[in-house]
Amino acid sequence: MNALLEPFRYGFMVDAMIAGAAVGAVCAVLSCYLVLKGWSLMGDAISHAVLPGIVIAYVIGLPLAVGAFLSGLFCAVATGFIKANSRVKEDTVMGVVFTGLFAFGLVLFTKVKSDLHLDHILFGNILGLEPGDLRNMLVAGGVTLAIILGLRRDLLLFCFDPAQARAIGLRTKLLYYLLLSLLAMTIVVSLKAVGIILVVAMLVTPGCIAYLLADRFDRMLAVAVTSAVGSSLAGVYVSFFLNASTAACIVLAQALVFGVVLAFAPKHGLLALRRRLPGAS
Amino acid sequence: MIEFLLTPFQYDYMVKAILVSGLIGGVCAFLSCFITLKGWSLMGDALSHSVVPGVAVAYALGWPFAAGAFGTGLLAAVGMAFVKTRTRLREDAVIGVVFTAFFALGLFLISLNPSSVDLRTIIFGNILAIADPDILQIAIISGITLAVLGLKWRDLLLFCFDVNQARALGLNVTALHYTLLTLLAATAVAALQTVGACLVVAMLVTPGATAYLLTDRFGRMIGLAVGMGVGTSLAGAYASYFFDGSTGGCIVTLQSLLFVLALVFAPKHGLRAARARLKGGARPPDAPASPENGETRPETGFQRGGGA
Repeated sequence: MNALLEPFRYGFMVDAMIAGAAVGAVCAVLSCYLVLKGWSLMGDAISHAVLPGIVIAYVIGLPLAVGAFLSGLFCAVATGFIKANSRVKEDTVMGVVFTGLFAFGLVLFTKVKSDLHLDHILFGNILGLEPGDLRNMLVAGGVTLAIILGLRRDLLLFCFDPAQARAIGLRTKLLYYLLLSLLAMTIVVSLKAVGIILVVAMLVTPGCIAYLLADRFDRMLAVAVTSAVGSSLAGVYVSFFLNASTAACIVLAQALVFGVVLAFAPKHGLLALRRRLPGAS
Repeated sequence: MIEFLLTPFQYDYMVKAILVSGLIGGVCAFLSCFITLKGWSLMGDALSHSVVPGVAVAYALGWPFAAGAFGTGLLAAVGMAFVKTRTRLREDAVIGVVFTAFFALGLFLISLNPSSVDLRTIIFGNILAIADPDILQIAIISGITLAVLGLKWRDLLLFCFDVNQARALGLNVTALHYTLLTLLAATAVAALQTVGACLVVAMLVTPGATAYLLTDRFGRMIGLAVGMGVGTSLAGAYASYFFDGSTGGCIVTLQSLLFVLALVFAPKHGLRAARARLKGGARPPDAPASPENGETRPETGFQRGGGA
């Protein structure tokens, strides 16, 4: 029993759990919109694209988060611009833009002497949070969450049916950029916890889990947040005993939940599907 | 000055790295023409991340890295297809869930057993320290890929352009689908050594996209793409000598620069050409229709409903 409670005796473990749960919750809320809108891989693109922003912000002395946010947003806007003004397909444009930015960031990183740790940017450093980090994360996460929940009806309509949203007088262009900004902001908040490469999992998997379980959006939000917070807590906790990468453990916990839900979801799961098929034929 | 510029060639490992990069750049560029037409760009990204657990296991057990990587890459592809056909989730979401799970598994395995393999080697490649057996594996993969593409390129082209037409002509589209997927996984494995898991997708997309802006004929598109792929890889590997080793970063940055140049200055499909046409009072050209049948287009992109 004592051994099981041991992680809670360390301040950094408790901090990591709080941070993981907070980041998980914010990402999960956003993931419901992304999954509906079909923007899952936009999260992947933006998250890679923050790298040059971080390095440049370091060089000119801006807060790293600001640089990361701006270059993430730049990636999204550039993708939209090139898509609209050339004949190249959107998925291709996205691939070209984010890898270009990531590669540029990498070259910059090797040329700029800094005390940044590339490993921490790539995989997060949730066990080594500094005192201010957790507070910043909670504040930024809280603001993001408040905006999303405050505008959740508008955003939902925008994701489901932009034409309808425009018809009833919503400013869809504004919502488009708002959702992009929220996405970039969430990614920046999550970087310290799970890093560039795995943040996309936090932004996709909970939404998918919830989409398989719930048919109503409110319920979908609740399921996504619950599964994400649970996975974060479990992942951080387990990583203590396995001495394994914390970010990887969180994402694997989510993947495990997804696997179980995929098989057993009452209505949209594989087993339910199989049961329905013989009856239907 | 000349002497300074020639220093990279005095080192055996640099010459080796430059040549191997050129080979991989060429093979990837060839394939990228098909991938960009088919709309599979993000599949390339997903597969290149999915090979990581295979590499980790292969290194830990002393197998050839290509075998492990190829195995998990294909496993991920099959897993994505399975989940996608059986659930109501969109394809882009399924890709996101599956490849991050694989990548996390790889990271997990490496963090349990950090001594067996260097994570950075996988993420960023390490062409400067490539071992001879690895070069052999890459050469074999490249040879097979080039042979298959060379023999089957007409069938694959039709498959990428118009699946229904290909089926109507009696081609085995399922076989072609898996052929292309296998080639994609194989080249992703080869490119892993040069540019690493994060940037493989650039090698598999950017040359094709750049060439697509420059020409309307597929034969010429392949030629241009391969030329750019080989050129940027040789130059990037060479430049990385002066940039302390981020070979992948240098190669992909060069490729992106070429793309930007083509985007702005391409004679027919560039931004300037489009603007000149508008100014000349000519009717703006209709947005060129995507060459591919709507039915086969994966829902990877976002729908820009009312957006920018």
